[in-house]
Amino acid sequence: MSEAALPALQRPEHDLRPRISWFGKVRRVVNELRDAVVQAAVSLVSHKLRAALTIMGIAIGIMAVIIIFMVEAGMSSGFAKQLSTLGPNTLFVHKWKWGASGNDWWKYKDRPQISTLDLHALQQNTTLPLAIAPMISTNATVSYGSRDVKGVEVRGTVDGYLDATGWVMRRGRFLTALDEELGANVCIIGADIEDAFFKGIDPLGETIRAGPNLRCSIIGIFARKGNSFGQSQDLRIIVPLSAFMRTFGSKRGLVVAVVAPEGKVRETEDEVTAVMRNARHLAPDQEENFSVNRQDKLLESFNGMMMATNVTGILVGIITALVAGIGIMNILLVSVKERTREIGVRRALGARRSTILMQFLCEAVMVAVVGGLFGISLASGLAWLIDTLSPMPATIDPRVVIGGVVGSAVLGVVFGLWPALSAALLQPIEALRYE
Amino acid sequence: MALIELDHIVKTYDLGLSKVPALRDIHFNIARGEFVAIVGQSGSGKSTLMNILGCLDTPSAGQYRLSGRDVSTLSDDELADVRNLEIGFVFQSFQLLPRASALENVELPLIYRGIGKKDRRERAIDAMRLVGLEDRMKHKPAELSGGQRQRVAIARALVTQPSLLLADEPTGNLDSKTGEEIVGLFLELHSRGNTIILVTHEPKLAARCPRAVRIVDGLVIADGPGRDVAIANAEALGAEALAQFLAAEKAQGARP
Repeated sequence: MSEAALPALQRPEHDLRPRISWFGKVRRVVNELRDAVVQAAVSLVSHKLRAALTIMGIAIGIMAVIIIFMVEAGMSSGFAKQLSTLGPNTLFVHKWKWGASGNDWWKYKDRPQISTLDLHALQQNTTLPLAIAPMISTNATVSYGSRDVKGVEVRGTVDGYLDATGWVMRRGRFLTALDEELGANVCIIGADIEDAFFKGIDPLGETIRAGPNLRCSIIGIFARKGNSFGQSQDLRIIVPLSAFMRTFGSKRGLVVAVVAPEGKVRETEDEVTAVMRNARHLAPDQEENFSVNRQDKLLESFNGMMMATNVTGILVGIITALVAGIGIMNILLVSVKERTREIGVRRALGARRSTILMQFLCEAVMVAVVGGLFGISLASGLAWLIDTLSPMPATIDPRVVIGGVVGSAVLGVVFGLWPALSAALLQPIEALRYE
Repeated sequence: MALIELDHIVKTYDLGLSKVPALRDIHFNIARGEFVAIVGQSGSGKSTLMNILGCLDTPSAGQYRLSGRDVSTLSDDELADVRNLEIGFVFQSFQLLPRASALENVELPLIYRGIGKKDRRERAIDAMRLVGLEDRMKHKPAELSGGQRQRVAIARALVTQPSLLLADEPTGNLDSKTGEEIVGLFLELHSRGNTIILVTHEPKLAARCPRAVRIVDGLVIADGPGRDVAIANAEALGAEALAQFLAAEKAQGARP
């Protein structure tokens, strides 16, 4: 026993009801919170397996939600980029109506394809359009000498193409009306084709072969355009429409892009419709057997699809939150049960109900946030994999990270509340007596 | 003014079909600086009394005044503050937090008072020194002996400088030699001016306290110097019990 003189242990008579200052109360809460965090960490570490299972559940759920929204964001940004390359004033004359639902498929299926005759009618009889360009394309193998490149987009069009689409030439010249009339064996190549065949050689004037038997000499090179939907747009060659038809046949039909002047989209649409009806010899009471499409139609159907993805994401999110929440609730109920006597001791030593509540809420939030952080790291890893291995761009928005952490903390509070309340409302003597 | 005033305390447990009286009419005072044993067989109501004294439970009737204040007027949070500031608990089964070190256990009540980390540590170390465990501060409860654990619990009860030290069968889980040491520690704490209430079923422990209150069936049936109450208790149990008690007391006196 220490014989050293120690200060008097007990205080003299005083008022029972202590006056605690505002600052004292804040300091007390800070102290208790710090203790609660330490206790929560100790509790998790000392029940590693139990905690790990719950944390994994939350992590996988959060990862699934993040991935769904990430894929969606990737798709819509790719789509928006694609659209912006076409321009909002462009109309597309096509056999199909864009954005139509699947039920109308039968209605459009038997329409005639847009032919070169329709194209000529549009070129000759319209006055408003700034540019008219037919588009038809196929995938083919392109070879130069002994080397092949597979899956090249071979496209047939005419001189209006550059104005209609915004593609830019880097070198050489584009197609002319004369090339079209003659069906000249000439082509313009994309930057990827140049890279594949012509390292250190001037491509202009060289001859390449597209598909089985189209030999054409290179007259121009496009400036690089980059990726869309993760797919290179530069792996392409452009040939005159007539040359394309001769080689690949004319069965597949055209899409004709018509660029309307700014602010006159509707008038242009009317004019194009009239010219087409005339070319098709449709009587006034006959329905159109072609469609004049605008991009916003496409955007509408795309948005519909995105909405479906969104709903899926939200549903998966709700289910995830429920499953994770039940996991949190379970681990917390076990923890409260296990520590009932400890709760009694803490209450006897002066812990208030709010102190106990805070302690268990802290534990719930910690489980949830650790799970959330795990989920975000898993999702980041997966995003990196998708980004490197697949053509789709995948990145994690920092807002998603913040949202994931905040969301899981909220989850912890919501599902931890009931077990924590049940702990806080225990009577001290009953908790102390608990075996 | 007495520290503790028990004014005709009644406690009845309502078990649905029947009402069980645990305390029937408890009426006595305890002044500051007293060392009082509350003796009684199990079922006598002494644990109920101890819970009421410790502000863990409230009486069904009667008034309990601590430092002159009627405890029944206090809210749950105020009761928690009273337990924290006024009462130091020592339990039979020690009730230390298993995952915290001895020192952290002693610091615990100071956290609930909002005392800063540095100050908290200093006071906890002082309390550990007081119970002679300054070299065991980093140990977990599982690494300590029973006697050491009870010393840690006593340090935890003392660290807040409470008005009242409330010990419930503090030697119940200890062998007789270690129990003896703990009683010695209580006597020393008493000699330094602490108010101590010791709840026990062992008359020979009560005999060493300056004052003992004997409770039978929820009523105080003896209140006086510890040895007198203990002897009266033994007499009530019969001649054999008295002889046993005196022999034990003699052996104890001869030991040092």
